[in-house]
This record gives sequence, structure tokens and C-alpha cells, in this order.
Amino acid sequence: MNEISDWTLIGKSVPRREDAYLLRGQGKYLDDLPVPQNTMHLGFVCSPYAHAKIAGVDASRAKALPGVIDVLTGADFSDDILPFAPDIQIDGYRRVERLVIAVDKVRFVGEYVAVILADSPYIAQDAIELVDVDYDPLPAVSGIEEALKGDAPVLFDSLGDNMVFESHFETEGFEEQFDSADLVLEEEFRLGRVTGLPIEPRGCLAVIDEVADTYTLWTPTQIPHQVRTAIADHLQMPESSVRVVTPVVGGGFGTKCHVFPDELVAVALVRRYRRAVKWVQDRREQLLSDPHAREHLHRIKVAVNRDGVIQAIKLNLMTNSGAYANYPFSCTLEATGAARMLPGPYRIRNYKYDVVSALTNTCPTGAYRGTGQPSCFLAMEGMMDRIGRTLDIDPADVRRRNVVNPDQFPYVNVVGVRYDTGSYLQSLDRVVELSGYDEFRARQPRDRLIDGKYRGIGICNYTEVSGTGAPGWRVRGFAKMPGFDSARVVVEPDGRASVFLSQADAGQGHLTAFAQVAADRLGLEYADVRVFEGDTAKTPFGTGTFASRGSVVGGGSIIRCCDKLIAKIKRIAGVILQADPADLVLGGGCVHRAGAPGNSLTMEQVAETAYSMNNIPLPEGEDHGLEATDYYDPPMVTLANGTHIAQVAVDPDDGRIEIENYTLVHDCGRVINPMIVKGQIHGGTVQGIGEALMEEIVYDSDGQHLNANLLDYVIPLAMDIPDMRIDHIETPSIDTVGGIKGTGECGVTGAVPAIANAVCDALAGIGVNIRSVPLRPSFILEQIENARREAAG
Amino acid sequence: MSLNDLISRLFADPGDAGKKPSQAAAPERLDNHRVNVKLTVNGTVYEREVEARYLLADFLRHELGLKGTHIGCEQGVCGACTVLIDGRTARACLQFAAALEGAEITTVEGIAGDGPLHPIQQAFHENHAVQCGYCTSGFLLTTIEFLKRNPDPTREQVREALVNNVCRCTGYLNIVDAVEAAAVKMRDRTLDAGGEPS
Repeated sequence: MNEISDWTLIGKSVPRREDAYLLRGQGKYLDDLPVPQNTMHLGFVCSPYAHAKIAGVDASRAKALPGVIDVLTGADFSDDILPFAPDIQIDGYRRVERLVIAVDKVRFVGEYVAVILADSPYIAQDAIELVDVDYDPLPAVSGIEEALKGDAPVLFDSLGDNMVFESHFETEGFEEQFDSADLVLEEEFRLGRVTGLPIEPRGCLAVIDEVADTYTLWTPTQIPHQVRTAIADHLQMPESSVRVVTPVVGGGFGTKCHVFPDELVAVALVRRYRRAVKWVQDRREQLLSDPHAREHLHRIKVAVNRDGVIQAIKLNLMTNSGAYANYPFSCTLEATGAARMLPGPYRIRNYKYDVVSALTNTCPTGAYRGTGQPSCFLAMEGMMDRIGRTLDIDPADVRRRNVVNPDQFPYVNVVGVRYDTGSYLQSLDRVVELSGYDEFRARQPRDRLIDGKYRGIGICNYTEVSGTGAPGWRVRGFAKMPGFDSARVVVEPDGRASVFLSQADAGQGHLTAFAQVAADRLGLEYADVRVFEGDTAKTPFGTGTFASRGSVVGGGSIIRCCDKLIAKIKRIAGVILQADPADLVLGGGCVHRAGAPGNSLTMEQVAETAYSMNNIPLPEGEDHGLEATDYYDPPMVTLANGTHIAQVAVDPDDGRIEIENYTLVHDCGRVINPMIVKGQIHGGTVQGIGEALMEEIVYDSDGQHLNANLLDYVIPLAMDIPDMRIDHIETPSIDTVGGIKGTGECGVTGAVPAIANAVCDALAGIGVNIRSVPLRPSFILEQIENARREAAG
Repeated sequence: MSLNDLISRLFADPGDAGKKPSQAAAPERLDNHRVNVKLTVNGTVYEREVEARYLLADFLRHELGLKGTHIGCEQGVCGACTVLIDGRTARACLQFAAALEGAEITTVEGIAGDGPLHPIQQAFHENHAVQCGYCTSGFLLTTIEFLKRNPDPTREQVREALVNNVCRCTGYLNIVDAVEAAAVKMRDRTLDAGGEPS
């Protein structure tokens, strides 16, 4: 469908137009927006307890501070804001609601207890310290397994226990298949809790438009239209009375594709006080209460035959929901995501999974780049290596024997996901060659010890779910997730074009990449196309930018919309040129007969006619104007794929891991802008390096968050990053418009398992079994010491 | 009252550390302590009366309207707010504006002014070293100081110089490339101008 062979701009590394203002410090982020006079500045009082009854809130000292306008508690919002919860409709899910400002009880450290309204952010900060909250601490629970024990403290009395989600899947005749394989390998894999951590903290600015009685909420979100819907639903106001606008956004990574209690509070307050309201989060608040991700425990059993071919997989997955359900995803996003994506690029036909998510007294979990995939491939790719070690088959060969082969596409996997095209075997073979994998294996001694360090190599062969459409969201229980995105393309009276897209850029370069798409399709100069996003009043409705969907669904909707518009352009031009519209083509800013560029009309001439600005009458039956709107709901999902190989050195003296060689081959179908795609790969891979080697949010057993600052939540720096060798394969999708597949999450998805496998390979010779991340030096040292002690008997 | 007296008063141990908050005296309005400060930012002299505790980052952003200095952590870790104070990089979130009497400060707005992009900015553009742009101002100012000190760095030295700045989008590699490219551009520019590398 829509195989496009004559692109001139698509596929080119067009430099980014966003840089022109960002490099001069002129990007207008949330905190840079001009604010109305009399703006009230918010400060949130956060719970220091993981689990406590609120016996009382005494705000008298705070209210006495000059410059404090008011201090409100949860009860003050009970008439304004409905209990906050996403609409999840899937068997085994139990709805939990959150009061945007807690009433009676807090369930995690960082939960909002009161809100300050003040003349300035400094005074709001001062006042936070002056609110006296009387807490009666309750026993708390932070770990998944602990939370599911019979005697665990229960977060919601109405539920009776902490089980918030369970899901089961089993293919027909599973047990028989599982039991008849030659052998069964089993392992337990754990992933630490991490978070997206955009460098720009969140915030919001809510202003009132007195004339129209509408409110504008500025918020750095990835999902402006869904924010508006959530506000309208929970504040019981017409959607038409709220406009959501994203300023320039300083990174999203999934963190900013949620709707937040503070956004609802800000709109409720601007409505009540009829004064603008502004809030800017600080880093501590960001780490305490913005969505966390991962903290998964996989217990996996693989039934495999002696030739290394997998016959059946049994997965038991436990995930930590945290204290509530983030909007719109809840804990099910990663839980069902990891379980459904685990078969990955392999021909798994017999599969059983049991998924459980537990409520705990920790920050609610949600989306973060990779969603479930770094997790399930840590398990799946870890098992590939274990099969190799057990059966003495090279791990690369184990993968070769199990992948979906080139002649098997299109392929429908065991949970019903269609793989339209892919390069699973080719990307594996190419990265093996590029990385010098075989040469490394040849020189790698059995005990892996080379010049005092243990060296190992690890592979991750992955699929990346991208461009999820409505069917993909429904099958996972997201009842209100639209799935489509939309574009309105306008050829203006001067013949130049404006594109209004339902998405929201957070640094990906949409204004550049989508202008390439529209200019190419309309046959205009790149400079003559502008892209507008992130404004519910300007753009048609859509799902937003997350889950590797921007290029697929945004690009697809622009192409479809342009095609609609082109039909009109050709009809108008056909009358003027006295030609059959079917014979006309667009290019070089003109419309002309195919093969006869001499007799042409400029786009401006067509536009003049459409806008009634010349003497050429509009053809009979044609409307004025030159624009179209189109809505593109892509297939269930579109699978990108690739293979990463990491080669590491582990220093047994200090436990540090150095990545000495990093190579990856990547296939995201039709590439719009290779430079931008490479940037996405770099960034994602480095987040994966962070998740594999250093990042982890730590709670103690009482639910106290121990590292809510950037010194203690360690993320990668320039010194931690190896140079990467990157190669591309371009296998266009046959299911999506334009053949585009997504690319945002490939890096983190490939990196976490590849690095873990490399470290595991390095230390396998001395009896260390690596099956968790992050692999911090202290942890590695402990593992090596334990292994040595055991070896010494 | 001198600035030092003021600061020590503001941050002194009140001597009632064991007291419960509700027993403390009525809150004092901290923003009453205002100090006059005169300093130079991007070549322009500004004189303002500010709260003694007002951070340089807030002073630049909200008092002078120079919003290219971004605040990422307020803990001095991420480096997004990096500026040059008398030619040396510093975290604007860890400095009191009032303590910078007489200082010369350069922010991202001062790198190229209204003119064409500085070679470092140009190199960031050409090497796709910007994604969301939030950390970029800090990286640019770190690079200016670094290349002045070390006009011909190795790749490892570049990596080392950049560890004071956190980026979450780019994975650093294109920034390292950009700084290397900028070093070449800057050396060429110095040679073209017939001058000694500064």
C-alpha cells in the first residue's frame, strides 16, 4: 500500500529548523512563557510518609505569611474534581482512584497533601514549610512480593488486598507441548525501577480568557488532546471550554505522556479564582512523583530441544503498580506490554503467561521509553544465551535457529500480532559481522580473563512495537485511547503550505521531519511548508506522541491528508489546464501534465483560484479554500526491529564495567530523516546503558524514597558512553502508509539486554550469573566475591 | 547591613533546632531583605535591587528576561543553567545574584547576540547535537570555556570536559562530535584572523 518511490526530501538528513531558536536560547519552554499580572504561583505540600492517615492539616502559619493567597487541602476539591483514574477495561484489572490532593490517607512519599497559592514561587516554597500536617503513620509495603503476602498492609481497604491486575494467556495444548521438549531451562530476571527524567521538569500555566469563558492550559505534554479530555471529564466541563497548548518541551520519554493531578488542580483553580495559575516542578518533586517504570520480576521457563529450537515458553511476570493508576496507562501498560512482546522476533508457537501487578506504597508506575520491551527482552535474550551455554551452541546461532525467517513474512505471532515485514535474520547477521563477533569469540578464552579484566559479548535481537492503532490499544484494555492521529493541511493563498498535526514534539524534530513529508507529497519546496503541533485549538484531535508512534501515525496522516488535498488541486488545475486530473502531477511548486512540465500552473495560481483571488472561476461544484483534514488509524501495531551487540570489560578489582565496543543494526522501515533517526538511536541506547549499569530508584522496605535527587539517581554522562557503530536496513512496512515504522524506543530496548548479556558472558566462567539490572560496581563486586567464596568451598 | 551579615542572618542556625515548628515565632517574610547589585551581563551593565536570596538563574530569567538559562535541578548537578562568571563556568542555580557585585556574566544570549551563529553553535547544528534543547545552553557555555583552555582537544578530553552537563536526549555522541568540529572551526577562524589562538 502506498509504496512511494519518488521521494526527494524523505530519506534526506535535512538539518533541523528547530535548532535556529534552540541554539540561541530562544525556545519558549513552560517556565519561559510570559504570565499575566496577578498570576498565582502554586506549591504542593508532599507527603513525607509512604502510608499514613491524615489526622489534620493546620495551614494557619502558612496562611499568615505575607504573600500567601490561600492554602487548600483535598477536601477543598471534592466538589471540583472527580476521583482521578484511567478507563481500563480488561479482565483482571481492578479500578483504583486517586484524589488529586489526598484526603484522609496518603499512599506514597510525594503524594500531594495540600496546595499553596502565593504571589511568587519563592513565597510558595516558603509556605510549604509552614503547613503542619498531622500524620498517623501506617505500616507500609514497597516490594512486589511482599505486597502480595497475606499479612501485607493493604493500600485500598475496598479491594481487600493489593492485587490490582492479573492476566493470563495460554495456547491450546500448551502443557503437552511444554512437557515434550528435550529439556527445560528456567531463570529469574529482575529490572530495577527507573524513570524517564526529562531535563526540563514539568509545570503548568493555566490562564483565563474572560471573553469566551474558556481556559488555556499550557503544559509540556506529549498528549495535549488526551490532557484536554481528562480535564473535561474530571472537572465536568465542556471540552470546548479548555484549550491545551504545549510550549517547547524539554524532553518527554514517556514521562510526559501522562495526565497529572497538578494539571487538574491548576484548571480547577483558574476556574475558581479567575486568576492565572502557574506551577513549576522541582527535580525532587519530579523524582518523587512523576511516573516511574520497570521494577519487573520475570520467572521464565523455556522448553527447548537439543538443536536449540524453542518449543514452548512459560512466563510468570510480576510488576509493581505503585500506589495508584497513572492516567491514561495504569500499571497494565508495562505488564501486558512485556508479556505480549516477549516472543519478539522468534517463532514461538506455544506460550503461556501469567501476569500479576501489585499495589505498593511507592510512586505509581507508567510509561517510560521502551515500555515493557527492555524488560521482556532481558528475559528472552537472556534465555537465548542460556540455551547456547547449556547446549554448547553459539548464542548467535541459537537466535538464527529461532528467528522468523525472511520467507515467513507476513507472520502472525503467538499472541496475534502481525509482523508485516522485517529483517530479523539479516540484521543479526550484519551486526555479527560488523561487530567482529566471531573474531571476539575466537580470541575469548574459556575463563574470559584478559589482561586482568573479564571480557564478554552480548546480543539483543529485538522487535520494537510502534505506531499502535486503535485495535492495539483495545486488545490491551485501553478503552479511551484513540489510536489515530490526524492532520489538517492547508495550501495558503500564497501557495505555501501549513500542516496542523495532532501530535506534540518533545525534541524529536517534528517541525523538520514532517515538513519534509508534506513538502515531498505536495511537490513544494521544504522551506515553503510549516508544521504546527501541540495545540488543541489549532490542530485536529489525535492521540499524541509516544510509544514510537510519531513518524508512523503523524507521517501517515500527513501523507493521506496531502493526497486528499492533491485530488482537489488536480481538479482545479485540470479545468484551468484543460487536462484530465488523472494526467496531472505535482512537483517543483507546480502542477503540470506528466511528462510536460512546460505547460504548468504554480501552486500559487491554483491557490488564487481556490481562494477567489483572480478572475479564473472555481470549477462547478468545487468548494472554496484549499485544505483537507484526514485521520489515520494505523494497524494494531507495526514492528520495527534490530540487533545490538555490546562487548564489555569487567574489572574485578572495582566492579566497574566498561563498554569497549557497541554495534547495532536497525530497521525502522522507510526513514524520513536519517540524521534524526540516528539521534533517536543514540539517545535511546544511552538511556539503556543507564538502565543497565547505573539507574535505579531505591525505596526502603518502609516505602521511603532514598534517592530523589540527581546526585543519587545516577544517569549516564559523556564519559560513560562508547562510540557506536550503527548500520541501517530499510525494510518498508507493507501495512502502514508510506512504509514507515517507529524508532523512538529501539535504543533502550536493545541496549539493556545486550549489556546484561555481555556482562553475564564475561563472568560466566567464574560462576557469576547475571540476571538483573542495574549492574552497579558494588553489585558486581559482591557477585564476584560470592562466586569466589563458593569456588573456594 | 552588609551582604555578608544578611546572608549569615538568613542562613544562621536559629538556635531552636529542637523546637516543634508550631512553637516557632511567627514567620518572617524572607523577601523583605533586599540588596542592591550591579553587574554586567552579556556586555550590558544592570543595576537592580533584589531579594538577598534571589538565585542568579532566577535573576537572569525573571529580572532580566534572559530565559535561555534553563533550570533543570536546582541542585547544581545537571548543568542546564551553566553560565560564565568572569569567564569561568558556574551553575546559575547555586549562586546568589546579590553576591555577584561587579561580575561579568555571559549567558547563551550573549554567545552570538543577534549576529550569525557562533562556530560552536553552528557545529552543534551541523552535527545534530540538539534535540529538545533544554540542556543546550549549558553545553554551549561549557564548550566555550573548554575550547579556550584547550583549543585542540582529544576525543577523550572532550568527553571529560562535558561531564558537568547532563543530556537525556542525544546520548552525548553528537555533542562530542560537535565540540570536536567546533574546535576545528575555531582554530580555522583564529588562523583566518591571523591571530594567535586565544
